[in-house]
Amino acid sequence: MTPSLVTVDWLVLAPALAPVAGVVLVLLGDAVLPRRFGGAAVALAALALVAGAVAAVWLPRAAGGAVSTLCLPAPDGACLWTAGARASTLQAGVLLAGAAALALLHEGRPRPRDGAVAATLLLAACTGGVTVAAATDLGTWLVALELATVPAVALVALRGTRASAHGGLSLLVTSLASFGLLVLGAALWLTATGDATFSRTGAAAAWADPDRQVVLVLAVTLLVAGLGFKLSAVPFHAWTPQAYAGADLGTTAFLAAASKLSAVAALLVVLAALTDLPGGPGPLAVVVGVPAVLSLLLGTLVALRQDDPVRLLAWSTIAQAGWVLVPLTAFSDAGLRAAAAYVLVYAAASLVALAVLGRTGARTLEDHRGLLRRDPLAGGTLTLALLVLAGLPPGVVGLVVKIVALAPVVEAGVVPVAVAAVLAVVVGIAVYLRWVAVLLSRQVTPSTLEEPSTARRPATLVVLVVGTGLLVVASALPAGLLAAAT
Amino acid sequence: MVVSLLLGLPAAVGLWLVSGGRAMPVRAARPLAAVTAAATLVLAILTVTGADEVDRAWLPELGVRWSFGVDGISVPLVLLTAAVGVVVTLHAWVELPAGGSPATFLGSLLVVEAGALATFTARDAVLFLVAFELVLVPMWVLVGRYGAPHPARARTEAALRFVLYTAVGSTVLLLGILLLVASAGTADLRELAGGAGAALDGGTQLAVALLLVVGLAVKVPVFPFHTWLPPAHTTAPTAGSVLLAAVLLKMGTYGLVRLPVATVPEGTATLAPALAVAGAVGIVWGGLVCLVERDLKRLVAYSSVAHMGFVVLALASGSETGLQAALFANVAHGVVSALLFVLVGGLKQRWGDVDLAVPRPALRETSPRLGFVLVLGLAASLGLPGLAGFWGEVLAIYSAWAPAADRPRVVLLACAVVAALGAALAAAYCLRVAGIVWAGDRPDRDAPRTPDTHGVEQVLLGVLSLGVVVLGVAPMLLLSTTADAVARIGGGP
Repeated sequence: MTPSLVTVDWLVLAPALAPVAGVVLVLLGDAVLPRRFGGAAVALAALALVAGAVAAVWLPRAAGGAVSTLCLPAPDGACLWTAGARASTLQAGVLLAGAAALALLHEGRPRPRDGAVAATLLLAACTGGVTVAAATDLGTWLVALELATVPAVALVALRGTRASAHGGLSLLVTSLASFGLLVLGAALWLTATGDATFSRTGAAAAWADPDRQVVLVLAVTLLVAGLGFKLSAVPFHAWTPQAYAGADLGTTAFLAAASKLSAVAALLVVLAALTDLPGGPGPLAVVVGVPAVLSLLLGTLVALRQDDPVRLLAWSTIAQAGWVLVPLTAFSDAGLRAAAAYVLVYAAASLVALAVLGRTGARTLEDHRGLLRRDPLAGGTLTLALLVLAGLPPGVVGLVVKIVALAPVVEAGVVPVAVAAVLAVVVGIAVYLRWVAVLLSRQVTPSTLEEPSTARRPATLVVLVVGTGLLVVASALPAGLLAAAT
Repeated sequence: MVVSLLLGLPAAVGLWLVSGGRAMPVRAARPLAAVTAAATLVLAILTVTGADEVDRAWLPELGVRWSFGVDGISVPLVLLTAAVGVVVTLHAWVELPAGGSPATFLGSLLVVEAGALATFTARDAVLFLVAFELVLVPMWVLVGRYGAPHPARARTEAALRFVLYTAVGSTVLLLGILLLVASAGTADLRELAGGAGAALDGGTQLAVALLLVVGLAVKVPVFPFHTWLPPAHTTAPTAGSVLLAAVLLKMGTYGLVRLPVATVPEGTATLAPALAVAGAVGIVWGGLVCLVERDLKRLVAYSSVAHMGFVVLALASGSETGLQAALFANVAHGVVSALLFVLVGGLKQRWGDVDLAVPRPALRETSPRLGFVLVLGLAASLGLPGLAGFWGEVLAIYSAWAPAADRPRVVLLACAVVAALGAALAAAYCLRVAGIVWAGDRPDRDAPRTPDTHGVEQVLLGVLSLGVVVLGVAPMLLLSTTADAVARIGGGP
């Protein structure tokens, strides 16, 4: 028996293996009981996702630090899968966000034509998102990233309407373009560092050599651009409103939360190799700073004019993508932590907002007039989620992550980004309070909205309650969130 | 422990009233809010007498601690806030604005109170900002939902303008705090004031001071950032106006003392002339507007701008007297403006509006008790000796006349002269109001009599009047409380 090339610790891979096992079981079930397996498939998939999330949270705790596997033999001994506390938290976030999207998808209107197919696609995408967070080599990273993206295209197009076909097409074109950029960026990274992993030593060596530094900057530019598509950062954002509005709510929830978490996890893998560079980040700060500033300004300003809540959330996603990039312009460990904490809070708040939309079926902001009075649970949770997104107490955690995001920027002295952030905070408050004002309003417009019926949408209710619970706990004890994102 | 209860009690009851207890009937919600406010006042007194504190890790990654406690500077403001909390919750028996459930209204009042108390007791710069932000949304609800019923558009705009202006201030302030914390390496306000901030180099100090002063100037508000205040005051329900004037404005001036003045003295000294000029212009500007303003509520709001001008001018002087004057004028304005807003709110309730151009019977004839309180409040506002307003204004002008050695004397002397002129303007507009409303310069014989004050309103006005007189007759009560802490912050000779 020949010694294997890499050592594999299957338990460490559990966060990625759980959704894979889910895919296998769902496909098997669907083969045995065609057409009648939809409901069970959804339950099975949700179970797999939650189990994966539990594993992701538990593993680094049990090990007392980062867990690694797929290690090459000594003396090199590089591990192709390394999940520290931050990567594990993001993995858990991807999986839980995937479960939430599945719940909204399953109870959406109209219901997906084939529950098993939708569940399979979602599980596959989550596997990609989980893997990319822990990937350290270029190959795994690229493949995992595509695995996280391509099923989303199918999910958008699966609805079969004209709008969803358009949304799917624009997402597909975007994904292909971004994949092209990413591959090129990865190739340049390899050229610059001579190393097929995202390692700090390789990056530091390339940074020290002026000739290779240029190639490295170009590589990072292409990688940031490629991820900018997935993150919906300006100028790579154009597909977002179309895909959000064209897809059903469950898919929108997936794009808004799980997909963003995967993209940030992928970005952090790259940027973690580039922290604390000697002589400061220089041109790299511009590479991240320009999309950050543009996203902040354009996203908030356009969101101010939206009357369709889904489109408003789409533009708010763009603005929030800018917020995620803000701390990364500092290229420090504090910045990485801030970006991870920010995207987690953003994902939870967005999911709560989308779950409320799923519950009420509102198509315009006016449909929500007086919601707090008509349906206190939906109105109250949506108010909290919007205040978190705006960064206003009682959504304390929203304010805390904004403070945490700005701290490294101020420390590094990136003035233009700080100025844009001030503007974005103020306009953003106007965006979200406009919606909150409608919720609080006294008059109730007679509308064709369905009355809330928890009996028919229990899973949406669970998403609502769990998401709000997480936001409340994080507001009371923000230190826990930051520790998990470190 | 006590200080945790002091903050936790109004916050918990307030949040419960706006969420779970929204549907609570008014006869249950009103006593609950009042009892909570009264218990908070007791806790405030216990906190102050026991010098209670709490200090534990909150955001260890940022070095931010959950640290609350009181010192000489915050004691008067904590007591003022707790007392005003009792006033506004009791005032719900006098006036309960329509616009939503009474429980939400009372809950918002309590959350604002909790946020203000947290702001005054926070001993960590970042925590100070978070506490400050806590008052924004409930205040927005108070103005936007419970404000004057029409025009609805003006109400929405006033509320939004309040939030957006204040948010600009907060965010600029946040940048300043983050820069300060990053450069000094600590977020503890005591360490920052104890030399960690003063040790920074000149350029950093100036940048920090500029961000802090501009951010807080929006919140105080200092001329020319004051334009959000009059519409918010005019629109807000009486209780909201009282909180705005007696508590929220104080948070801005308190922040100026705590942050730029105490932590980056050198940078603040550089900005002092600009601050002094802004204060002096605010005094005159507010006074001039008051001379022609027809809406009595808006008039009181503009007089607040003028009074805040005195506070800022005193702070700019850089001397210990100046700090004392600022802190005294701060508290005095809190009591006087609370009195005037309760009174004017009562008049608005009786008359339907408070347009000075509408002829009405003389208040001294139809309702002598209201008339007496009005005259007392106006006299205190114009700075009559023996009443609360006097000491703050006199000390402010004096401190500008004899500023600290490192301040440009000519600028501050000029500002002192302008401020004295502004005080004369205050006399003019206060007499104008007294002439129209109290003496009835334009009486209308056919108009219905104005019912005099009684019941809860009378008690509230009586207590506030008493406060105005006590502060005026025995200013040392307050000045001696703040003296030690002021001496520690230092300042010039």
